[in-house]
Amino acid sequence: MRSSTRASATAKRYVAEEAPPSVAPAPARLVVVEVRALPRTRPWYTDVWVTMLRRKPLGTVGGLIVLGMLLAALLADSLTSYGFSETNLRERFIAASGDHWLGTDQLGRDVLTRILYGARISLYVGFGAVSLGSLLATALGIFSAYWGGRVDLLLQRAVDAWMAFPGLLILMSILSLLGPSVLNITLVLGLAFGIQNSRIVRGVALSIKEHTYIESARALGSGHARITVTHVLPNVLPTIIVVATTGLSTVILTEASLSFLGLGVPPPYPTWGGMLSLAGLDHMYRAPWLAVWPATALSLAVFGFNMLGDALRDLLDPRLRGG
Amino acid sequence: MKQYVLRRVALAVPTLVLVSVIVFSMMRLMPGDVVIRMVEGHAYAPTIDALRKELGLDRPAYLQYVEWVGGIVLRGDFGESYWTRQPILDEFVGRFPVTLELATLTILVSVVIGIAVGIVSAVRQDTVADYVGRVLAILALSVPYFGLAVLVVVLPSIYFRWTPVWTYVPFTTDPLANLKIMIVPALVFGVTRAGPIMRIMRSALLEVLRQDYIRTAWSKGLTERAIVLRHALKNAMVPVVSLIGLQMPLYIGGSVIIEAIFRLPGVGLFFFEALTRLDYPVVQSVNLIVATMVVALNLLIDLSYAFLDPRIRYR
Repeated sequence: MRSSTRASATAKRYVAEEAPPSVAPAPARLVVVEVRALPRTRPWYTDVWVTMLRRKPLGTVGGLIVLGMLLAALLADSLTSYGFSETNLRERFIAASGDHWLGTDQLGRDVLTRILYGARISLYVGFGAVSLGSLLATALGIFSAYWGGRVDLLLQRAVDAWMAFPGLLILMSILSLLGPSVLNITLVLGLAFGIQNSRIVRGVALSIKEHTYIESARALGSGHARITVTHVLPNVLPTIIVVATTGLSTVILTEASLSFLGLGVPPPYPTWGGMLSLAGLDHMYRAPWLAVWPATALSLAVFGFNMLGDALRDLLDPRLRGG
Repeated sequence: MKQYVLRRVALAVPTLVLVSVIVFSMMRLMPGDVVIRMVEGHAYAPTIDALRKELGLDRPAYLQYVEWVGGIVLRGDFGESYWTRQPILDEFVGRFPVTLELATLTILVSVVIGIAVGIVSAVRQDTVADYVGRVLAILALSVPYFGLAVLVVVLPSIYFRWTPVWTYVPFTTDPLANLKIMIVPALVFGVTRAGPIMRIMRSALLEVLRQDYIRTAWSKGLTERAIVLRHALKNAMVPVVSLIGLQMPLYIGGSVIIEAIFRLPGVGLFFFEALTRLDYPVVQSVNLIVATMVVALNLLIDLSYAFLDPRIRYR
């Protein structure tokens, strides 16, 4: 457990002093040994970024793209003077020009503006669904692994059943019933992400459960809640971070495919998938930039999150490599 | 082995039962009422209650579930569409060859490209060819297939006056014309799926090429071609095959979008059209059929591992 040694670099480690087993139960004496950190050691969460800058050029590029996307999403209001649903019927299908850098669409809306605001929706849905899903995956995975036995068996069969559906089909079904909205798609994608990744968390938690430090925690009288929160959770955390970062690109891509089919984020909110849109295909023959720019933005975002996620995975959790 | 097979098949049954319960309750519990739309928009019946009764929606949900599953198990009857009143299974079976052909061609394209580029990349590690291959794989991973499909449909028609063929011809009527139609969507979908295959092929082959028996093969004086293709490739294929198996649901899910863009009358389009019309029985049954196929496929893959590696049987 790399992270556990890192995390406990400054923490106190308790060692029970051995007593002969035949002696009447004396109150167990605890000796506190302070394990001091080596000088110049950075905490692991800083270390990761420094190592990435040095050894993972592609990961750094990915990180920069993600950073750019974040900035676009945050500053969309001040980066452009148009509104994302501001129509202008006199300026329909204008090719790239000084006023409209990436042209305008069938309603005369500025494409660049919509791309920038699209980053906002993508990130909103992406981060929302992934945080929700990670929480669910963590809770479900740790619970299932820690409890074990029949509960674990039942839960895992339910997960099996869910995983039998090809992802897109079941998501499309649910969303067509719920109706398209930003909240619905975030919830549904989060649910799917959580159930799917609870498997990975469960696997890691299962192996952690068997470690002797869990046993000693139990021997010291820690309850289930304390053991799972203070001993299992911190060791599962790197895995969750990796699952979340690599999952972001998938979630963003899925949101785009659903919006593409008209089942995701409803108009007038601009999303890259919705801008590519199956329904708007006819307009693109007249204005190919309507297809080119959202596709480019989406590819760049997926590339950025993929590379960042891969690099973080290599640095944080070598066990998941190739997974 | 026989016992192992029986146990694995028995384990698949509760999964399928759960799948059917999930699909059914989802369709019943969620808002959105097709009956109102059918009566008010299309005058399928004089009143809403009459249509409800006709479709059997007035009875308790558990009865509807038992009837649905009972029909499937006893009579192989998957119900009929609300709108067309056609049996769902007939429609599914009629359209399945299109989707199967698309999936087969897609897998073929992605496997051929992925494995070829993967081999070159591994054998010529850290050369220009390797870098080009890896960059291509990253690109393939990043470009969404529906984005690429839209660009392939739109751009050539503007700049080269070329469009995909829009009228579908079945393979049995005219194989050549059919392949002409299918090859473009299969290429688009296959190319974007080749990325992961290429990456895993490369890393698996690199690992195998460092093993002792490969060094022995070199020292016997075998040619590079024989070593890579005869000795190393077979062992490096195991993770590649399991990746393709794992990705099957992606091929099925993606075919919905590909079929919708290229207007191929397959299962995916059937599903998508049913979805937009809130045709619950179709959505429900197609989900169940496809999930059953995925479960069966996973079972087959698991059994093939057990067949290849006796240790698995006794676990």
